[in-house]
Amino acid sequence: MRDVWTLWKKELRIYFVSPLAYVFLSAFLFLAGLFFYLGVTLTGEASLRVLLGNLAITQLFVLPMLTMRHFAEERRQGTLELLMTAPVSLGAIVVGKWLASLTLCLLMFLGTLVFPAVLAYYGDPDWGVMFTSYLGLVCVASAFCAAGLFASSLTDDQVAAGLIGIVLLLPFWLVGRAEALLPEEWADVVRPLSVLVHLDSFNRGVLDSADLFYFLAFTGVFLFLTFRSVESRRWR
Amino acid sequence: MAMNRTLQRRLAVGSNATIVTFLVVAAVVVVYLLVDRFRVRVDLSADQGSVLAADTVNKLGLLDRDAVAVTVTAFSAQRGKKESYFKDRQLQDLLEEMDYNSALVETRFVDFDKERLTAEKLGVTDYGTVVVQRAERRVDLQDRDLFRRSGKGDDRKIEFLGEAAINRAFSQLMSDTRRVVYALVGHGELDPDGRDPDGMADLAAALDQENYELKKLDFVRDREESAPRVPDDAAAVVVARPRVAIPVLEEDLLLAYLATGGSILYAVEPGGYVPSLLGRLGVVVPEGIVLDKLLVFPYPDRPVPRYKAHPITKDLSDQQLVTVVSRAAPVQAAVPPKEGIRASTLLETSRDGWIERGGALEGGSAKYEPDIDGAGPTAMAIALELGTDSGLVKRGRARVVVLGDTDVITNGLLSEGPGNASFAINTFRWLLGDEGRLSVVGRPSTVRRLALSSEDLGKVRWLVLSIGPMLAVLLGAAVWSSRRGR
Repeated sequence: MRDVWTLWKKELRIYFVSPLAYVFLSAFLFLAGLFFYLGVTLTGEASLRVLLGNLAITQLFVLPMLTMRHFAEERRQGTLELLMTAPVSLGAIVVGKWLASLTLCLLMFLGTLVFPAVLAYYGDPDWGVMFTSYLGLVCVASAFCAAGLFASSLTDDQVAAGLIGIVLLLPFWLVGRAEALLPEEWADVVRPLSVLVHLDSFNRGVLDSADLFYFLAFTGVFLFLTFRSVESRRWR
Repeated sequence: MAMNRTLQRRLAVGSNATIVTFLVVAAVVVVYLLVDRFRVRVDLSADQGSVLAADTVNKLGLLDRDAVAVTVTAFSAQRGKKESYFKDRQLQDLLEEMDYNSALVETRFVDFDKERLTAEKLGVTDYGTVVVQRAERRVDLQDRDLFRRSGKGDDRKIEFLGEAAINRAFSQLMSDTRRVVYALVGHGELDPDGRDPDGMADLAAALDQENYELKKLDFVRDREESAPRVPDDAAAVVVARPRVAIPVLEEDLLLAYLATGGSILYAVEPGGYVPSLLGRLGVVVPEGIVLDKLLVFPYPDRPVPRYKAHPITKDLSDQQLVTVVSRAAPVQAAVPPKEGIRASTLLETSRDGWIERGGALEGGSAKYEPDIDGAGPTAMAIALELGTDSGLVKRGRARVVVLGDTDVITNGLLSEGPGNASFAINTFRWLLGDEGRLSVVGRPSTVRRLALSSEDLGKVRWLVLSIGPMLAVLLGAAVWSSRRGR
């Protein structure tokens, strides 16, 4: 646990001493602000549904860019071997890096809390739905960070890692959209894979054990795959 | 040789790692399938309308058990119109919930503008129509069935009643036999086909959704052909505000019908004719109008009734839906009750209610005057169950509901009060012995509007598009400059 904490601090420091975090934060807040403003003007409702729905898709492109550096850069600079021979377990390395990315995401979401405040000032938002929607957003961030980390572990080229991450995540978004085009039996099979399907109940104020487990499993599986991928360097 | 050993080791470790990885992923998939099968869902939304009501879930279960495919096709609202986003979203959410709760009910949301062919095939010409089909039968729901509007200007509200409307459509499609409710005419009663505020056309339409048919019963015309009597197919009889006395012979026919376990709904008005049969049932309609300090503003003659415990009112009470009455007559059951008759109050005033007899209302204000007015709380609607031990019923149990106000079932107020339609329909469901279908006809969810002027919108735009991102940029610049200085 101490190793995870140390690595988490190290990774966060790297984020915040480089302009990367601030560029992401600024771009993310601008996009979020734009979605919020459009949602408010289009619907006239005290609801964040339009914003949060769009933010989930935005994360699909943003988060692989945020995580692409983790293992790819270590490999390129040759520091991964150093890290792997340090008295730190591989699991702690993977979890520490994932937690650092997730923390940055949470800080980005923190910046959007001004939106519920605006809605509360001018209307009467449904706080239950607001809570579950944000929880859904955090679940998506957790899952996508894990997938991005796995993509980063596959190559020593940061840009390639980012692109692999996007390509890896796209099907989980597209199956939700393509479901209507597929034959019914296929639709039933691919439906549970869709991130959108599992996010929907969060956006309606419903906490569903299956949806929570989906994101938990998504995160767990990709962290496990990352572990395996990095570990494979020991025997390849 | 050494090379071979290295390769062998790599192959062994690699295969091992691959197998373990597959096993872990497979285990996760199995656990997911189990969690999916035994889902637990919690609705945290304020109006608890994000998951289906138990009644709707039960009905979907019944439809699945029948193994006859049911399709629900919902067409989008007109784009660009106010509330179109709210309307479409509510319908889509409802369809998704139905999909989740049923294996057999097929749902489809259709963009009316993009898929005109689908609309033409189904003969749909209006935006926002919902078509519920089962085998050859279908029920069309229009915008007015799905959404209820109230208030004006900034207080304007729109509520979604789609779940209740589709639920009723299911009831209609599931019921193989169409039950007939007869409305007595010939004595100046309310017209079952009437479209004016005093008519009952809206009630007939609501009953039609339940697969109940409202027909006229005219003993005078029947008399010309053969011996008059309540038809055999009568599931209930409505006697709504007769203006003149019902002849004894006709009262006897209604009594004979009750004796066979029939059901009658009586609706009376203050100062109007009170059928003598009510006296035989132990029901008294005292002189005066029911008033209450708790009233539907700004109408002094519209007390806010309280629900008393009864299957008809249970869900209405649970969900705090108000039934609006107007100029109601007090209705009282005999105390002590007549033998074999069980009387229950349905609607009653608060302790601050009273029976107004002084005519103070005519002056525009109402005040309780102990000398002449009757003290509250006062009942405005009661339900009676008659057993064979009452001496009036020969077989089964007869049911009677007496309403002290006819407005509850007329076009005038049927759709005005949030609970009026539910109260009226539940009353008929109870009279007809359809207890399984007693439910709130509507679990509304309301659009939560923002009160934003164009000036406010400008402030919001500036705040969310400039200040937030700018702060992040400034923070980044500060960090960059401090590191550069080191």
